[in-house]
Amino acid sequence: MTFAEYLTRNYDNLLELGLEHLNLVLISMGIALAVGLPLGIVAHRNGFLRNPILAGAGFFLTLPSLALFSIFIPVLGIGAPPAIAALSLYALLPIVSNTVTGLASVSPAVVKASQGMGMTGFQRLLRVELPLAWPVILTGIRVSTQVVIGIAAIAALVGGPGLGTEIFRGLRSQGNASAPNLVYGGTLGVIVLALLLDAAFVLIRRLTTSRGIR
Amino acid sequence: MTTTETMAQPGPTAAGAKPMIELVGLTKRFPGTAEAAVDGLTLTVNEGEITVLVGPSGCGKTTSMELINRLIEPTSGQILIDGEDMTHTNPDELRRHIGYVIQETGLLPHRTIAQNVGTVPGLLGWDKARIAARVDELLEMVGMDPATYRGRYPKELSGGQRQRVGVARALAADPPVMLMDEPFGAIDPITRERLQNEFLRLQQQVRKTIIFVTHDIDEALKMGDRIAVLRNQSHIAQYDTPENLLTSPADDYVSDFIGAGASLKRLNLSRVRDIEMATDAPTASLSTPVAEVRAVLLASTWTSLLLLDATGRPARWVNSRDLARAEKGTALTELGLPVEAIVEPHATLADALDELIASNVGCTVVVDGTGAYQGVVDLETIMTVVRTVRDEYERFHLAQKLAQQPADGQVR
Repeated sequence: MTFAEYLTRNYDNLLELGLEHLNLVLISMGIALAVGLPLGIVAHRNGFLRNPILAGAGFFLTLPSLALFSIFIPVLGIGAPPAIAALSLYALLPIVSNTVTGLASVSPAVVKASQGMGMTGFQRLLRVELPLAWPVILTGIRVSTQVVIGIAAIAALVGGPGLGTEIFRGLRSQGNASAPNLVYGGTLGVIVLALLLDAAFVLIRRLTTSRGIR
Repeated sequence: MTTTETMAQPGPTAAGAKPMIELVGLTKRFPGTAEAAVDGLTLTVNEGEITVLVGPSGCGKTTSMELINRLIEPTSGQILIDGEDMTHTNPDELRRHIGYVIQETGLLPHRTIAQNVGTVPGLLGWDKARIAARVDELLEMVGMDPATYRGRYPKELSGGQRQRVGVARALAADPPVMLMDEPFGAIDPITRERLQNEFLRLQQQVRKTIIFVTHDIDEALKMGDRIAVLRNQSHIAQYDTPENLLTSPADDYVSDFIGAGASLKRLNLSRVRDIEMATDAPTASLSTPVAEVRAVLLASTWTSLLLLDATGRPARWVNSRDLARAEKGTALTELGLPVEAIVEPHATLADALDELIASNVGCTVVVDGTGAYQGVVDLETIMTVVRTVRDEYERFHLAQKLAQQPADGQVR
């Protein structure tokens, strides 16, 4: 069976796996954002906590992915939950560090003027600092997403969903004539997904960044 | 220290002036520093006046200003605004009622000009329609067409325009008090001059109580109704009117700071509207028949005549030779010299002199706010003022010398 034949026959299956993969990535990214953004803000505002937070987020990126996935099996069982936990931790560092960098790059004059006009600390964060840091933060989210799309393929090893299932199915059936097709098919799916999400980020960036800072 | 103590008094108060801001023993000591950045600053600022804090960099003038809107919390001392103690109120609430302009402008780059100007009204909870109306009014006030600029972003404006927006933004909620920290410091000299003049004209309308920080003594003399010359740690060396500062500096520090050319600097204090400008210059409308124009010129003692356009604005200078050519059919609008030197009545004599030197004819035309012709200032007019000032100055120094002879005491 040629790769083209494989693709036409398994199109539906790959599409479904791709959607699962996307789902896994989006949920993990959602959690990473919900944790990472506040952590980044705290790290920016509190010089004392900045380095511990950045080091902590960086720590997870140094762990081998298989190990990180397995750590959660005793607690969360197998399937999607340990995959989501591990992926969220992987996604953390680029989000946290870019939030810190982005907030630090806001012009001191703008911060001083906002303060001088009587904005409270929270108003300043919401109306001035985050919107101005947003392009940098968004870049962090984009990098995280790319990392997570790739690593999510390994989630299949802990019984997780997504395109990894197809890849590992292929790896397990070595010797079988269609085995390479499965591996290529899964990999192609990951690549297409990565390109689509990257394109989505370009669009999101255009839509969410003020014309004044583009 | 005796000078500091005597000078720390409110200074000469104009009749009827009401104190608006009172700083009492304001002190700021940053942790880990031996000397206080601001040491016991006591100063009274009158309502509706521009009070300038001027001094070399590092003297604590900006810190002193930021103590007033409590961007920096004072270590000790008191801030009274309109008699009310502001030292322990909610600082955010306080700042919403104090206009604030800084050198770097600090416009929010991601928001439009309208949104920037409407920031404080928004914080104060005004409704949208009221904010929109106020924004247009303010842009108009600072000389920017609302329709053109309200939807633009700061990066699309020039430095001078940005600073205009900065001033409009500070005025937005009509605060009684404004703090301006080197507002025109980062702007090229020509635009700065124009912005200073425009701001002074604006101040004539709005009459805010303003504290203005600068390191530039010429700017201080031009802008200030009252000037506090600061030395280290915001100690006041002299707090006085610009005139007194120039004619009777309290000590060597002050006279050194004012620098050379005090009499030339006095030109910065006299405004065109305060002197007698020549109103006898021959003028004619562009639409007047050439023969009549010629008659007007001949009847005057002047060698050139000023042509005015239909709205009364100066258009061109023409002499009798130009008019001779006009009679041969050349249009009046193409003859003579364009009017380049133009000032408004609130401009200083230094401005007028500057324009005059740069212009191609020996006089500066004075126009009113709408640009209509008012009169002219020539070199002779300015010389008369310089001469009077110099005489006064010399008389003062003679008196000072005589006073110092018997006892080497202090002058003031």
